[in-house]
Amino acid sequence: VRAVGEYSWLLEFDDGDERKANERARRAAALLHGLKPDGLVEAIPAARTLFVEGSPLFEAGILVGLEAGEIEVPPSPVASHEIHVRFDGEDLPAVSAVSGVSKEELLETFCAATYTVGFLGFSPGFAYLYGLPRRLHLPRRGTPRLSVPAGSVAIAGPYAGIYPASMPGGWHLLGVADAPLFDAGRTPPVLFAPGDTVRFVP
Amino acid sequence: VTERALLVREAGLLTTVQDLGRPGWSALGIPAAGALDPEALRIANLLAGNEEGAAGLEITLVGPVLEARGDVDLAVAGGAFGPTPGHVVRLRDGDALPLRAAEAGRGSARGAVAVSGGIDVPLVLGSRSTCVVARFGGLHGWPLRKGNVLPVGRPRRAPRLDATAPALPAADRVTLRVLPGPQAHLFGEEALRTFYGAAYRLSPESNRIGFRLEGPAVDGDPAAREMPSEGTALGSVQITSDGQPIVLLAERPTTGGYPKIATVVAADLGLLVRAQPGAAIRFAPATTGEARSLLEERETRIGEWARWLRD
Repeated sequence: VRAVGEYSWLLEFDDGDERKANERARRAAALLHGLKPDGLVEAIPAARTLFVEGSPLFEAGILVGLEAGEIEVPPSPVASHEIHVRFDGEDLPAVSAVSGVSKEELLETFCAATYTVGFLGFSPGFAYLYGLPRRLHLPRRGTPRLSVPAGSVAIAGPYAGIYPASMPGGWHLLGVADAPLFDAGRTPPVLFAPGDTVRFVP
Repeated sequence: VTERALLVREAGLLTTVQDLGRPGWSALGIPAAGALDPEALRIANLLAGNEEGAAGLEITLVGPVLEARGDVDLAVAGGAFGPTPGHVVRLRDGDALPLRAAEAGRGSARGAVAVSGGIDVPLVLGSRSTCVVARFGGLHGWPLRKGNVLPVGRPRRAPRLDATAPALPAADRVTLRVLPGPQAHLFGEEALRTFYGAAYRLSPESNRIGFRLEGPAVDGDPAAREMPSEGTALGSVQITSDGQPIVLLAERPTTGGYPKIATVVAADLGLLVRAQPGAAIRFAPATTGEARSLLEERETRIGEWARWLRD
């Protein structure tokens, strides 16, 4: 457990596989969100870490056991989402060329996979989805776009994701979905929660 | 009862409705937002007779011109904006108040305006703060624009007309105390020497997401460059790929992948957000114990101010 600020810590899960580390981070976050210990402010799971912020009331002792995996954390209930996509993304030709598959194979491969929401960040409702088939793992674009259209379904590295709003971005665009990913006025405000599963449908 | 409000005659450079933010939503990617200078907002609110966390306005460099609809009392803290910073200003129906900086380019770059009764925009996810980057909260999700009308709530207590709010320090040479960041160990000795030895210039390209600093490049271990994303702390100092520091603030992305060399102690963030663009910023190491004591001292100061106002 690494101290980050006065009352914030980073728990690191050093399993070799990022998905496994992320699953432990997610479960630890779900446990804290469920327990609501006094003084807990934020518990943010990410790729290999759980960031915990507390008030001065927070007892950080629990974090050591959570990081070491000594506290049994049951899996929490998750939702499944089916996302309809119009696959007309600007980067389809480039992704297909670089990964050496035809556009049809690319879409078939992309849509055959079941994805898991690993964590959110970057922008409200932006989910990093695990489960992208390995042959589609590509580095981000060299130059990010200044504006990616809202709803863009995109890939970069081991992740797939959907841009909740129009914003700058460096991921490869495959298509557009009209799923309501973030609406501050709705309960809950985001469509995807950590651990949810997602399938893409043409 | 007439509805009280403030009409925005001039918006100022970046004026937003802010309270103390909406913590608790970061795991869903939603930043806490809230006042960049929470101490200033709390002090101004107490002076105006409000709860510490009532919604007010955050002024940036050039303040707005506000016109009262009905009688409205307000107070500015954290910076010398308007005719009587640190004191309550009583506006009668139709009065206009220009919240200009006393000396442009000098003193605090930011100020907090508290309005007796609070700015009464709807609560969104538990807060009235504007999240500028994701365009929600505050007044329809946007910084103030000319012609906006800000609803004002019903005052709970009378403002203190006889009191002077404590001035908060603002300087053009600032040393920020920092704790080691989660990736501090990935930076070599030379990089750390650069970071702690150099004076950085506060870039005008700074915003509520983060403050950019310009100066000698901090070279890190290349392995640190492709870091998996992790949750970000308020005040985290991340080093970009060109070696420049960015201090992450209220609207930072909740997760990020740049290596973080240090974390500015919470009690010193006010010095940073009050600094003018171009100010010289240095970093000095501190311990968690010192950082916690500084926060406790701040709470004691604000508590004493609140008690003094009540008595």
